[in-house]
Amino acid sequence: MRRYLTLFSTFLRLSVLGELEYRANFWVQILESILSLTVAVGGIIIVFDHTATLGDWSANQLLALVGVYIMIGGVITFAIDPSMQRFMQDVQKGTFDFVLTKPVDAQFMASTRQFQLWKLIDVVLGLAIIGWALWRMQAQITILQIVLAALLLGIGMVIVYSFWMILGTMAFWMIRVDNMFQIFNAMFVAGRWPVNIYPTGLRAVLTFVVPIAFAVTVPAEALIGRITPTTFALAFGVGIGLFVVARLFWRYGIRSYSGASA
Amino acid sequence: MTTAPVIHLHELRKTYTIHKREAGTRAALRSVFHRETRDIHAVDGISFDLEQGEIVGFLGPNGAGKTTTLKMLSGLLYPTGGAVSVLGYEPFRRENAYLRQIALVMGQRNQLNWDIPAVDSYEVNRAIYEIPEAQFRATLDELIDLLDLADLITKPVRNLSLGERMRVEIAGVLLHRPKILFLDEPTIGLDVTAQRRIRDFIAEYNHRYNATVLLTSHYMADVEALCRRVIVIHHGQLLFDGALATLVERFSPHKTVIVDFAERVALSAEMDCYGSVVKRTPDQVVLSIPKAAVAATTSHLLADLPVSDLTIEDPSIEAVIEQVFNANN
Repeated sequence: MRRYLTLFSTFLRLSVLGELEYRANFWVQILESILSLTVAVGGIIIVFDHTATLGDWSANQLLALVGVYIMIGGVITFAIDPSMQRFMQDVQKGTFDFVLTKPVDAQFMASTRQFQLWKLIDVVLGLAIIGWALWRMQAQITILQIVLAALLLGIGMVIVYSFWMILGTMAFWMIRVDNMFQIFNAMFVAGRWPVNIYPTGLRAVLTFVVPIAFAVTVPAEALIGRITPTTFALAFGVGIGLFVVARLFWRYGIRSYSGASA
Repeated sequence: MTTAPVIHLHELRKTYTIHKREAGTRAALRSVFHRETRDIHAVDGISFDLEQGEIVGFLGPNGAGKTTTLKMLSGLLYPTGGAVSVLGYEPFRRENAYLRQIALVMGQRNQLNWDIPAVDSYEVNRAIYEIPEAQFRATLDELIDLLDLADLITKPVRNLSLGERMRVEIAGVLLHRPKILFLDEPTIGLDVTAQRRIRDFIAEYNHRYNATVLLTSHYMADVEALCRRVIVIHHGQLLFDGALATLVERFSPHKTVIVDFAERVALSAEMDCYGSVVKRTPDQVVLSIPKAAVAATTSHLLADLPVSDLTIEDPSIEAVIEQVFNANN
């Protein structure tokens, strides 16, 4: 266990070192974050110019949701996507063999090898927006609410990670799976709004096919204090289930990659 | 006392199933819906043993099955049939205890992070293999010394030349002091000096740690300098396993005789009667002569022609290897 912590922090540190080599990216990222913030908050302002509530969400509650959306998006681009890109590259070039010949869990190594430091700006920005929204609501936030929301944010990250891992594992057979990540990214944009404002069919897709509801809407609901025990249990179950599925699928992928399952 | 071999292969086989497709758009479209497959026997029943401390050259033309065999030995591929064991482990189980003792180097593929100095990337190896700080320092210092890395490991890897990069790559792979080295074309694309450096280092590492090395290379200079024993495979099957000298003797029943003339000899003069002519100028003829006939033929040459100098050579290893492969095509 300690070895994996050391390894994790080593990968993190090396990614930071690598990115400090290209400092211009920092400014590009600041610009990008400001743009995405403007679009998201601008969207809310425009909508609430015409109506007082959207679905059953008020403007401030939606602002909290936007905070969660930006933060989770930041986590994906900071920690999940870079390693997945590297993993797909490795499979394509054959350098994945170097991962498999190391005495270390290959899935762990494949999913922690690369981080994009500057994307942390989005995580910080997301947290700031959440704080701002809560302040504007002047809500009485209980400790329980914060713990619940933090827990569900964690579960949301596990769900997104597992989902990406499942898509990434397909690289063992298809080599190039970039397109699937594009589809995910396109659908993730829908998470900027609460999933319950979408028509039933699309809502089902966003909940169970591409689990954006659990990644963004559910943690936001916990934040504003209207999560039901059922939803909580469901999110928890989906999180664990998807993680296990991702693990099993990965192992099946490795077996197929080495020709053991044929 | 006889010791058990550290590497043992028995009738090892690997068969790939590939999709076969005819040329053309129509065939390509058809293959989207219906794919025909074909079996490729990449490794087709290979057996050999390696003792601890041996450096063995693993030779064969492209596609002979060398890399597939190395991949089965390092646990990357699951054998279709036969048995393989290394240090008592079955490689395809990829047990940590096994992987800690081996290293795989592929000359055409890099594993160090491009953007940062190698010395930082080495920290990853330290974490993965849980190398104690003191041992890590000592090994690194030793490798820096042997491979002359002092100025190289603090520069971003992308700024290094091909030969320098290979040196820092190899150092990274050896930080955990593996007992078994699988080297797939470690000197490919390097200039002669860089090749010799890597070669000397492999010999030194083998000597210091009594490590076992299985090496593939297309450069015969590598093989001649490092390997007393060679294993030759072709079309996935074993062609030869033995001393390099025996390979030359067995597969090349000819010697090369070079005759320099004291005076010019007309190109029209008959030479075929002595042996097959490899090269011919008015001042020199190079002949390939069956070994058994060398003594008799040289005395004829000396008697018949104005000879100023005569040398008898074994053909180059390259020529012998080429002959081996051609004979088996």
